[in-house]
Amino acid sequence: MLWRSWSLIFCFLSLFFMPTFSGDGFSAWAQDRSVSTPGEIHGSEAAEQRLTLRKSTMCERVENLRPVRPATVFSASVGQVSAFTAFDPVPEPTLIFHRWYHRDELSTQTRLRLYPPRWSTYSMIQLRETDKGPWRVEVTDENGQIIKVLRFSITD
Amino acid sequence: MSNLLEFLTTVRWQDVVDILINSYILFRLYVLFQGTNAFRVLVGIASLWILQEIAASLGLILTSWAVRGITAAAAIIIIVVFRNEIRSALQARNPRTFFWGSPHPQKVSSIELIAETAFQMGKKRIGALIVFPGKDDLSEVIHGGIPWDGTISQEMLNSIFWPKNPVHDGAIIISGDKVAEVGALLPLSQRQDLPTFYGTRHRAAAGLAERSDALVVVVSEERGRVTVAKDNWIKPIAQPEELCQLLRQHFNLSDGASEKEKQRHKLKMSLAAALSLIIVTGVWFGFTRSHHTIIALSIPLEYVNRPPGYEILETSADEVRVQLYGSSALIRSLRPGQVQARIDLGKAIEGRNTFRITQDNISMPPGVSLNRVEPSVVEVTLDVPVTREIAVQVDWVGRLPDHLIMVDMRVNPSTVQVIGGSKILERVSTIYTVPVRLDTLSRSGSLTAPLILTPPSLKMAPGSPERVTVHFILDERN
Repeated sequence: MLWRSWSLIFCFLSLFFMPTFSGDGFSAWAQDRSVSTPGEIHGSEAAEQRLTLRKSTMCERVENLRPVRPATVFSASVGQVSAFTAFDPVPEPTLIFHRWYHRDELSTQTRLRLYPPRWSTYSMIQLRETDKGPWRVEVTDENGQIIKVLRFSITD
Repeated sequence: MSNLLEFLTTVRWQDVVDILINSYILFRLYVLFQGTNAFRVLVGIASLWILQEIAASLGLILTSWAVRGITAAAAIIIIVVFRNEIRSALQARNPRTFFWGSPHPQKVSSIELIAETAFQMGKKRIGALIVFPGKDDLSEVIHGGIPWDGTISQEMLNSIFWPKNPVHDGAIIISGDKVAEVGALLPLSQRQDLPTFYGTRHRAAAGLAERSDALVVVVSEERGRVTVAKDNWIKPIAQPEELCQLLRQHFNLSDGASEKEKQRHKLKMSLAAALSLIIVTGVWFGFTRSHHTIIALSIPLEYVNRPPGYEILETSADEVRVQLYGSSALIRSLRPGQVQARIDLGKAIEGRNTFRITQDNISMPPGVSLNRVEPSVVEVTLDVPVTREIAVQVDWVGRLPDHLIMVDMRVNPSTVQVIGGSKILERVSTIYTVPVRLDTLSRSGSLTAPLILTPPSLKMAPGSPERVTVHFILDERN
């Protein structure tokens, strides 16, 4: 059973707010896709740029497109765990995948869509007792190329 | 008739060789041990064993049990009590004697010794009178003998017949390889036809020879000649070899045995050989030709002759269940290591290989046959060993204190070089540590943890660490 039927897949297509970061911390500001921002890039310049993952972390949950309690070890009693990724720039609309592996066995896979100029998105799973152990989330592009691997553990 | 022919066609040449070898071994045992006390006891034990089998077949519980106990004890006793006889029978001075000839009787050496000494005494003009008894009892015709019981040697014979020895005038009586008596008085012959130069010794020798089946050797003190008296004849002997020949004939030893004796000996040996052949043939057929017992065994499957450069990645079976049949004696005596199942991987290729298990793959003791094997087909997957760099991950277990959260963690080194089958390594993307408990962590720090290689066929590349250092940062949960 490759796909976990119980997993919830969240795909945020930039409603009106989008988190971005500056330095090591997060900052968020209101941004409409149609509204240019100081960091936005246009035309051939954008085409030359590559999709870049700026921030990725495992966290207990995501609120207002911000990761809450990022960590590497989660208690199963927390109930859920999320993989948060933020891309900047996003040169063109594209797909990425979050592949969740429990001890090297693919547990679930989430397809997420990204839109220019920058995009934050996350996927999450609900935790069960049997989920305890080492996990990893592979963030891949639409061709399956691994962009980042996030490793964490589910414990008592 | 047709059944007999059909039966004979099932006998292989190996079976014939088997029977012949064991018949010869039995025959040789008979030849080596015949005439010894050990042999008689062996015959007794064999009789006990037959008695035990008869008692068991008749359902005589106590008798068979008691005889079995006696037989077992007797087998041990024979080895302890007759160890010297067994050793002398088996100690082959000459391998040819052990495997082919008859054991050399001790008498022969004594005979040669006496013959040699007699002629030496003749040269020294020392008179001697030596009696070799036959089957007759000589106690009625010989008088005055002094018990001696000394093992024959040249020095002893010379000293007995030394002119100043008080007993030198009497005769000595030889028994086996010993001088039984000395100073014995023999009856004198009354014959008139004896040469005048024959003295008292010669007359005594002739006298005893006339009255018994003994052979008497005389050494003349005056002439130094060696003379032999037997039955009604008395004649001079020119050479030690001639004397030896006469003595051998007297003792019915092989070299000098009479034609009749030789024939008797040959007949005895032929009968022993035939009996050995019959016994071994009977035992062989009893062991191998009754196929009424079936046994099922689970035996490990051995994969041999693996092509160089390949590793066995996966097998569909590690053991097979074989059903064997044969005589109950052979089946009962089967031990685990005697039945082996082997798959030859000599012609295997990379990837999945299928092998059908046949009788050729199962090695069994002779006389045991294969009835069935399960599974009859096995699949073996071969792979090429490669080295890959694989990420390391900590296997955290337990529970952090509720007020703490692990916000970051680094593993040093973050990857390790692992050697294993290429197909195995395709499926392995992480090497985990042993479970590391969280319960005892209260503040940020570092620890070391050994790595676990799964599956076990994997191994660390040279230079890769077996343990990693884990740096972790704990923070207050807010």
